Amino acid sequence: MKERKIELLAPAGSFECLQAAINAGADAVYFGVEQLNMRARSVNTFALTDIKQIAAVCRANAIKSYITLNTVMYNHDIQLLRRILKEVKKYAIDAVIASDFAVIAHCNRLNIPLHISTQANVCNMEAVRFYSGFADVVVLARELTLKQVAEIIKEIKRKKIKGVSGELMKIELFVHGALCMAISGKCYLSLHAQNASANRGACTQNCRRPYTVTDTETNEVLQVDNEYIMSPKDLCTIDILPELVNSGTDVLKIEGRSKGADYVYTVTKCYREALEAIENNSYTRNKIAEWLKRLSTVYNRGFWNGYYLGHKMGEWASQPGSVATERKIYIGKGSKYYPNIKIGEFTIESGSVKTGDTLIITSAAIGMAKEKMETLTVNGVKSGIAVKGDKITFPVGAKVAVGDKLYKIVERANG
Amino acid sequence: MGKIIHYRKKCIGCGICFELQPELWRMSKKDGKANLLKSIAKKDLFVLSVSNAIQQLTQEVTRACPVKIIKVL
Repeated sequence: MKERKIELLAPAGSFECLQAAINAGADAVYFGVEQLNMRARSVNTFALTDIKQIAAVCRANAIKSYITLNTVMYNHDIQLLRRILKEVKKYAIDAVIASDFAVIAHCNRLNIPLHISTQANVCNMEAVRFYSGFADVVVLARELTLKQVAEIIKEIKRKKIKGVSGELMKIELFVHGALCMAISGKCYLSLHAQNASANRGACTQNCRRPYTVTDTETNEVLQVDNEYIMSPKDLCTIDILPELVNSGTDVLKIEGRSKGADYVYTVTKCYREALEAIENNSYTRNKIAEWLKRLSTVYNRGFWNGYYLGHKMGEWASQPGSVATERKIYIGKGSKYYPNIKIGEFTIESGSVKTGDTLIITSAAIGMAKEKMETLTVNGVKSGIAVKGDKITFPVGAKVAVGDKLYKIVERANG
Repeated sequence: MGKIIHYRKKCIGCGICFELQPELWRMSKKDGKANLLKSIAKKDLFVLSVSNAIQQLTQEVTRACPVKIIKVL
């Protein structure tokens, strides 16, 4: 059992996040291009032409890359699908994550390795056996308990269910990130309310808002004791990770292609450390507390263990957005770097910074770098504070390039 | 006279515009996004001059578009 290497799979919604995932120790990343993925609405979406560079970056860093093509597909999408798969084949992306049979059929025809998306809601052994004729990995529905997961994996081994590659079918589980109130994303709330289908990656997240119930006869507004009755907290399994590992899963997946490089880096790094700690028997209560503290600093709606332990039913969020203990505020852009003295130059475009502030720099080359600003030079003069329009320089370990984004970290007061 | 403006780049190809107003829209076989028929490309925008009557009818499409990339002026 000890030799089994579990793959840590991180989200990459942008080149910054891709680099952040690599720096944090991900074994693989998943990404989407154009509109045929579940984050089509996201501000940062990769284009078809980015596949080449994504493949090159992943290869140079010896990590695997998977492309998500898991929306509902229409006839008019097939040509784009073909063009995407042509690029996938050309640049040898390691696998496609899909649930629609058109994608499955095309991948099989082109001999492209396939992972079955959680959108397929695989909940039992027979479904895994069915998909073994087309795929090598199945991402199980997020609603299963670990007992159910372990049973499926045991049966795969006992019945020697092999995938297309000839190896035993692999199982992938979500370990961290947003959960839906609907079964593995099969939700029509956003479609009915805003005509924006979650299954085309356009979810408007109606479930994340507070609601009241009105008695139409009396117009009386009923108080719902928890207003966020449709918004589950985020999945976090760092405190039960050994149980996930013991279930026999092969891949652990982190959700969050719409999230920033700071989220990708922090979450991936915590789970990487936790997996290593489990491996060398140094997984302790103190470490769990420290990881949880770090995980709380980036985007989250509060944490729970999801459905893995079975007995605990839905835990709901307490506010519409993130309850992260820290927040990042955009400050400005990088303009120069002096490598010999390790000094970075930035132009402030919004807000202000002062010495002692914790800053993060994000870019495709750096990923995410965190720096505490010990000294600050404003427009060539040593100073304590800088405001919009100022050119500032301060010591930075990471190699700053023109256009790198600079953020200030501030503590968030959670009420 | 009015104008329909389509910010095509952000289209997610759901097909609702074509469904509601097939006389003005087609789903591209090439990239799966919507095309505003007979429109003129201006950078990332596609612009079509239309009568007031069509302009009124397009309001529904504007509302229906899930990513709000269709504007009527």
